[in-house]
Amino acid sequence: MAGKIHMMIEKIVRERAKGDPIIESTTKTKLILKGFDPNKFSATSADDLQLIVKLKQVASDLGVSL
Amino acid sequence: MNYSVAYSTERKVMSAVNELSVKLGSQVPKMVLFFASPVYDAIEISQAMKEAFPNAKTVGCTTSGEIVSGAMLNQSLVAMAFGQNAVEDSCIEVIQDLHNPAATDKALTHFEEYYHTKMLNLDRSRFFGMVLIDGLSGAEEKVMERLSDKSDIVFIGGSAGDDLQFRQTFVYSDGKAYSKAALLILIKSGRPFDVIKTQSFCSTGKKLVATRVDEATRSVIEFNRQPARKAYASAVGISESEAANSFMSHPLGLMVGDEPYVRSPQQFNNDTLVFYCNVPLGMELELLASTHIVEDTENAIKNKVAELGNISAIINFNCILRTLELRQTGESEHYGRLFSDIPTIGFSTYGEQYIGHINQTATMLVFT
Repeated sequence: MAGKIHMMIEKIVRERAKGDPIIESTTKTKLILKGFDPNKFSATSADDLQLIVKLKQVASDLGVSL
Repeated sequence: MNYSVAYSTERKVMSAVNELSVKLGSQVPKMVLFFASPVYDAIEISQAMKEAFPNAKTVGCTTSGEIVSGAMLNQSLVAMAFGQNAVEDSCIEVIQDLHNPAATDKALTHFEEYYHTKMLNLDRSRFFGMVLIDGLSGAEEKVMERLSDKSDIVFIGGSAGDDLQFRQTFVYSDGKAYSKAALLILIKSGRPFDVIKTQSFCSTGKKLVATRVDEATRSVIEFNRQPARKAYASAVGISESEAANSFMSHPLGLMVGDEPYVRSPQQFNNDTLVFYCNVPLGMELELLASTHIVEDTENAIKNKVAELGNISAIINFNCILRTLELRQTGESEHYGRLFSDIPTIGFSTYGEQYIGHINQTATMLVFT
């Protein structure tokens, strides 16, 4: 399977920003600071289980339900 | 005046505060922000500032050098008075249990109660947060991450210093002095504001991935599956024995687009590289090369003036490593003069805060 991390990141950014481009940009920066660079995950990125678990925690910290 | 600044180099607390009070004039400010050299007794200076400005909220911290319009100072007291129209409202929280995320959460809950608004719903064009935090705590990342998780407004600030003694720093709030603590000030601004983040580095394109770390001690044991000393020296292109000499000119950066979030090496502990901020496992950093602090800062200010139309005041959180480089190159005066025409205060910090905790950067809050 592939693309799950990319999909999760997109959802986190979308739900947090709610269409605000500045919050979208700062949310991406926050994700990079947490170790998830949105530009490094695509629809073909492997579904690394360890990263998925970590990203779920990041989403929870940011108040986003995946 | 919305923003007035003043400084004193008097060594006695009362003399310094009196001079400041006279210079700031007769208008009653709503808030007074001050940065004080550790030569001033912490309890005395905080009390004296509150007594001098009894109708204002008085907040501040200790420094490793101060900045005021036109000059970089040492062993001085600098202050900015915010007029009634500059600050609509403010709420101050002191965090004393810095390593406990629940303590930051509690502060945020108090903010929500004070402003009757959820943190995530605060209008980011009206509200900003200022963070003054113990620069010896090693807790900045935890606090900043929590603030970033729970809100979308700007939190900006600096880590309090102690003139490079590395013994004890203080934050000041309404007549009291706190050690091992952070001050969060959530301000409903009366004026538009923005942020300047400037660092004088460019990426070399050489990548170092943290493959073994000890986050508790801000240490990287291995980069690219090699001992950190070896990998860093190899990236810089010098011998391992000389590598520590390159820390100032070649820190590492977490790249957000073309913008580095600087992670500065502090020292080697055998082959382990200890940083001034945390580098999590798996983080990809790039080796940076230094550019020119004065030119870069001048450009950053000019660009912001062009963008905003004008700047009425600046609060400058300037990394102590930048200050040391400016001293080494004899450019402190030149740097200070960049702020001659704009009411400015600031201090040399043990770390800068903006979205996260960063190093070798100047984070500036600017008001129009």
